[in-house]
Amino acid sequence: MTSVSSGSMKRQHAAGLPLALLLRLAWRNLWRHRKRTLITLTSIAIGFAMAVISIGIGDGSHNSMIRNAITLGEGHLAIQPKGYLEAPSNSLMIADGKGLTDQLQHPLKALAQQGIQVSAIPRISLQLLASTANNSVGVGLESVSGQAEDPRSEQLRKGLIVGDWLSEEQENGIVLGQALANKLKVRLGSKVVLMAGTQGGDTTAQLGRVRGIFQTGMDDLDSYLILAPLELGRLFLKAELTATGAQIETKTKTEIEAETAQPLTRIALFVLPAGAADQAQLLLNKAMNSSLNSRQLALLDWQTLMPDLVQFVALDDAGNYVFLLLILIMVLFGIINTVLMSVLERTREFGLLRALGLARIQLMLLVCAEAFLLSVLALLFGWLLGGGLHLVLSANGLDLSGMMGDSTAIMGTYMDPVIRPELSLNRIVQLSGGIFLVTLLSGLYPAIKASRVAPVDALKT
Amino acid sequence: MALLSLSNISKIYQQGELTVPALQEVNLTVEQGEFAALVGPSGSGKTTLLNIIGGLDTPSEGEVMLNGRDMTRLSESELSDFRLFELGFIFQAYNLVPVLSALENVELIMVLQGRPEKERRERAEHFLTLVGLADQMDRRPSGLSGGQQQRVAVARALAAGPRLVLADEPTANLDSENATALLDIMYTLSQDKELQTTFLFSTHDPRVMERARRIITLRDGRIVADEC
Ligand SMILES: Nc1ncnc2c1ncn2[C@@H]1O[C@H](COP(=O)(O)OP(=O)(O)OP(=O)(O)O)[C@@H](O)[C@H]1O
Ligand SMILES: [Mg+2]
Repeated sequence: MTSVSSGSMKRQHAAGLPLALLLRLAWRNLWRHRKRTLITLTSIAIGFAMAVISIGIGDGSHNSMIRNAITLGEGHLAIQPKGYLEAPSNSLMIADGKGLTDQLQHPLKALAQQGIQVSAIPRISLQLLASTANNSVGVGLESVSGQAEDPRSEQLRKGLIVGDWLSEEQENGIVLGQALANKLKVRLGSKVVLMAGTQGGDTTAQLGRVRGIFQTGMDDLDSYLILAPLELGRLFLKAELTATGAQIETKTKTEIEAETAQPLTRIALFVLPAGAADQAQLLLNKAMNSSLNSRQLALLDWQTLMPDLVQFVALDDAGNYVFLLLILIMVLFGIINTVLMSVLERTREFGLLRALGLARIQLMLLVCAEAFLLSVLALLFGWLLGGGLHLVLSANGLDLSGMMGDSTAIMGTYMDPVIRPELSLNRIVQLSGGIFLVTLLSGLYPAIKASRVAPVDALKT
Repeated sequence: MALLSLSNISKIYQQGELTVPALQEVNLTVEQGEFAALVGPSGSGKTTLLNIIGGLDTPSEGEVMLNGRDMTRLSESELSDFRLFELGFIFQAYNLVPVLSALENVELIMVLQGRPEKERRERAEHFLTLVGLADQMDRRPSGLSGGQQQRVAVARALAAGPRLVLADEPTANLDSENATALLDIMYTLSQDKELQTTFLFSTHDPRVMERARRIITLRDGRIVADEC
């Protein structure tokens, strides 16, 4: 047997508990009160699951709103005249629409090679006065291209309640919203005079004939929107172009043959996968920037195009964060309570360890290790419950239509009536990190408490 | 030089307006290898004295020299290390870490001392065998009787190789049969020439006192008798 040589001991210091032993001790301590630990874990898991679900539903509904807004709006990205966003005007246009479309082909091909499909939809937006024998109403005309598949027109087509959709054969056919149809008192086949004033002071008018009526449930669209073939819209732009003083790309203004230029208001770009929109924007900007600049055009993302929506989502997110914060605080106190209780009832034991020669910091580490293990377990339990619920809900969808009433329209877009909760990797990291941090943090106070125990406390009976 | 020498130790507790003199001008020397009992009526200051010697409490006045070092001048962390390497403690009860087995309890201090695993294990098994617990090494404290738990505490104190083992009423919770058995074990170990461990323990039990080679009697915080 090796005995200790006494002289060499004088200057020695405590080695501290090795990590493995620390964790073993912590693990066993955690299960000293199996029931209590399980109850704590369960309550954390439930709180966590609630956070996962509420964040998932929030993100799911926001993403659904955003997707629909992008579909009904101008796509993920849009190229349009500078200044149009701030002050839309019929006279602001891409005069050489064909030239720009051709120019886009190359970068779009490059993107396709990276697996990013971008469809470019030529669009014309006009503010017009629609008149019938009965009424005159300010309307927005949005073009529907005959060639490219336009997600917006596909979407609105689903809301067609009377008549037919636009067709290329009928160049002056129009489809309008139910509420607008009521205001104008038109039926299928009715004639509507569409009028626009040009910059020069002239007036252009075209005759449209009602082919169909749609209803989306979104008031902005149903009472304001007229859909028409691209060609009909183009007649107004060409009139602008030929009119004096048209505000077009100055350089080419005189060179442009109004007949061949195919003017547009914008080109809407739909990106697949949607997550690659930023990447597409970057590449397009690189490839097109100088030519866009020289033509007074801007490539804008949907966030820039729909600042109100972005703000709404941010605000709604803030509400979710508050909820999350409340849950984290709940968890915090739950754990503080559990760990503190177990620390307080072990005063004698900590005193003993101190009397035997365990340093304060070692006691702190021990309690922190207990909180750490508790947080690992809480995370595991939490994801098991929250993740499981999330999977079930996202597979089956959550029918919120009852809760939201008839219309799910909001902020100029709408929510799918059946929400599928979504969880991005970012959120998973956020949620895990949050709960983990909070659990660890909640170990701190008990740990300090434990380290304050005096060795003599071991002797008190 | 004596292993332990106390000079003019006084300890005064303040309880509100009241000052309680727990120890008054205590002088005491203990040589290496002694097996000494501290006796006296309840409240005479036995625990206070042992705590001061063990560095768990500080005297109001006086000097505690242990193995050539003045305990009263050590910082808290120095005291902690000092206890770890130089002192063994056996308390009246609750000596063991509940979540560790007997073997792990004995090994724990040696882990902190930084001894290699093999040595730790050998020493722990050796001392547990010496105290008659060869078959109970893997049991947790809750699976051991009070007497067995105290024997684990003895094994733990000795396995760490201290110079001085302090035991405050180690037999208070034991019946007299277990008490004398524990004392016999302690005495046997104190006689080990290689270890030369010094024991200082307090007790009320006359049968335990019988085992002591030296009896120091305290009354009202003063040593009133010291006989070998
Ligand atoms: N923390 C304290 N605060 C105030 N007075 C104390 C404190 N600890 C001990 N005393 C007092 O000091 C005196 C000595 O107490 P001590 O515990 O040392 O006696 P003891 O000999 O160990 O008694 P017992 O045989 O009952 O264990 C007693 O009068 C006691 O009341
Ligand atoms: Mg006492």
